[in-house]
Amino acid sequence: MVLLELKNIGRRFGHIVALKGIDFTLEDGEVLALLGDNGAGKSTLIKVITGVYPPSEGDMYFGDEVIRFNSPQDARDLGIETVYQDLALVPSMSISRNFYLGRELVKQVGPFTLCDQAAMDTGAAAALGEIGIHIRNAGESVARLSGGERQSIAIARALHFGSRVLILDEPTSALSVGETRKVLGYIAAAKEKGIGVIFITHNISHVFEVADRATILSHGEKVGDFPICDVTQDDIAAMVMGQGIPEHLLISCPNHSKRQ
Amino acid sequence: MKPYDAIRTRLARSPEAGAAAGFSVIFLVFALATPDTFLSHSAISSILNSQAVPGILAIGITLLMISGEFDLSVGSILGVSSLAFLYAIVNGVPILLAAAIGLIVGGMLGLINGLLLISTGIPSFIITLGTMLAYRAIPLTAISGGRIIRYADYSRESPVLEVPGLVVFIFALALFFVVLWIARDIWRARNQSVKSKILLVAAFFCFAYLVFEALLPYPLMPIKIDFFDALNGRIGTGNYRTSILWWIGLTSVFAIALSQTRFGNAVFATGGNAQAARLQGIHIDRVRVTNFVISGFLAALAGIIQVARLKSVDPLRGTGLELEVIAAVVIGGTLLTGGYGSLIGSAIGTALTGMLRTGLVLMQVPSNAFRGAIGAIMIAAVVINNFVRKER
Repeated sequence: MVLLELKNIGRRFGHIVALKGIDFTLEDGEVLALLGDNGAGKSTLIKVITGVYPPSEGDMYFGDEVIRFNSPQDARDLGIETVYQDLALVPSMSISRNFYLGRELVKQVGPFTLCDQAAMDTGAAAALGEIGIHIRNAGESVARLSGGERQSIAIARALHFGSRVLILDEPTSALSVGETRKVLGYIAAAKEKGIGVIFITHNISHVFEVADRATILSHGEKVGDFPICDVTQDDIAAMVMGQGIPEHLLISCPNHSKRQ
Repeated sequence: MKPYDAIRTRLARSPEAGAAAGFSVIFLVFALATPDTFLSHSAISSILNSQAVPGILAIGITLLMISGEFDLSVGSILGVSSLAFLYAIVNGVPILLAAAIGLIVGGMLGLINGLLLISTGIPSFIITLGTMLAYRAIPLTAISGGRIIRYADYSRESPVLEVPGLVVFIFALALFFVVLWIARDIWRARNQSVKSKILLVAAFFCFAYLVFEALLPYPLMPIKIDFFDALNGRIGTGNYRTSILWWIGLTSVFAIALSQTRFGNAVFATGGNAQAARLQGIHIDRVRVTNFVISGFLAALAGIIQVARLKSVDPLRGTGLELEVIAAVVIGGTLLTGGYGSLIGSAIGTALTGMLRTGLVLMQVPSNAFRGAIGAIMIAAVVINNFVRKER
């Protein structure tokens, strides 16, 4: 089932056209890789989806309903969560405080509303354990964790708070090989739970490990939209570098970009 | 984990540990060097009495510093609010209203700091450096020629607050029910042992007994409160003043708010990683402005408490206080870069600077050496805190 659909989305900043005529879909339980060179419009597209920028033209649908975001909070309320590479966690705070930041579990003590720290510690440890992250101590400061551990906590948080669309902005770019494996594993876990994942990356081999489909942008326009089984790494690399759609793909699948 | 490591990580996790250790060492040095004078009630009370005002300022500074901001204007806000408070009294404004005016002036000046910060995006160091000078101009121009406004010129009698008996009764009843309510919620909380439940019930009945004991002999009698004594008078016949209780009470309330509430979490997150906090739905600008208002409000309260003892205001009231307070907060383990700190640490740091001043005088060190000592200790504290924090 189609979870998120964008039709003919455009975004201008003054005279600069950042996005033009983008059609985009994401289904339940699908991992979609969003690829493109720097300046291709990936971030702008993500910001449109997450409610940071309203689109200048075009319509967005969530399920069957037309949606219009006035703020990032509107997108969050629908379950569209984004995990940013460096901006996910507060290093000086503990794992459990980060996990519940802005959505703290509280208890009522007389007229006062206090944080229920014990419940948050056990809750965070349980939620992390559910996707295979085992921590020693939920009260430990995030500053002591590696980049991969931080990334996984941010992903686990997005999964736990009922996200339906998970957007990962270059989640593996600063990680070691082993940590990258783990993060790719969490993406697979999210897919298992029926969540639609949009995965932005520069690393084409990661795309082939976890993604079902790849959408390639270039100069603010969509180059194409291909099931991973139909393309090779070289095809994608060529499209990302702005060389257009390789000829053998045009022959085998002439209406690729109109296909829904 | 080896015991040594466990202790070291435990220490590293509490920001106030360094300050507490430094406090103990310096206390021991003075106690050994001048045992007769330093370990006397007069020395200890003079330290605590003099540090209550900077201690209350330190609460606001700490909250701001944890949220990544800086307030150099608290000394000037204290001066302006003190003036507003005393000026209102000598012009015949009722005492409670005069205090409210002083507090509102302080809160407004803090609000101006906060709004300037979020509307211009200029670092708060620069903004509050500007407002420190600008706010100082108010008492300097309002009190012409270096005059001092004295309460004694207006009246020989201390201002007395008369509370009607019915108000006292309702207040006591409300307090009783709030405590009952809190006790019920603690009772219902999970993971309670039988022993702690017994303790809770015992504590509650002690409290109830005290309330009724205090009220029963005076049914609906109005009570008279000497306003200045309530804020900063002697406790009983000793040298300790009520301002110490205000300092401890306010520090406790804000320490609980900082460590146990959603607001406290937002303060830490705003200073630790403002972008991450914003993306988690925290209104970081609201947190910053709130902290500036709290800081201004507490500066005003500290000013009023100081006026209650000095019973006068001069145009330079509070000058230089901001730097002493910031030094104390830094000694207390709060990071200038935000996201890390403790109000208990700030209270210890404030007590430490006061102890240093009195202790050095008792050791007959020239009083001007005090500033040098504070500076050296502050730098040492930061070096030690940085070292310990690496182990976190």
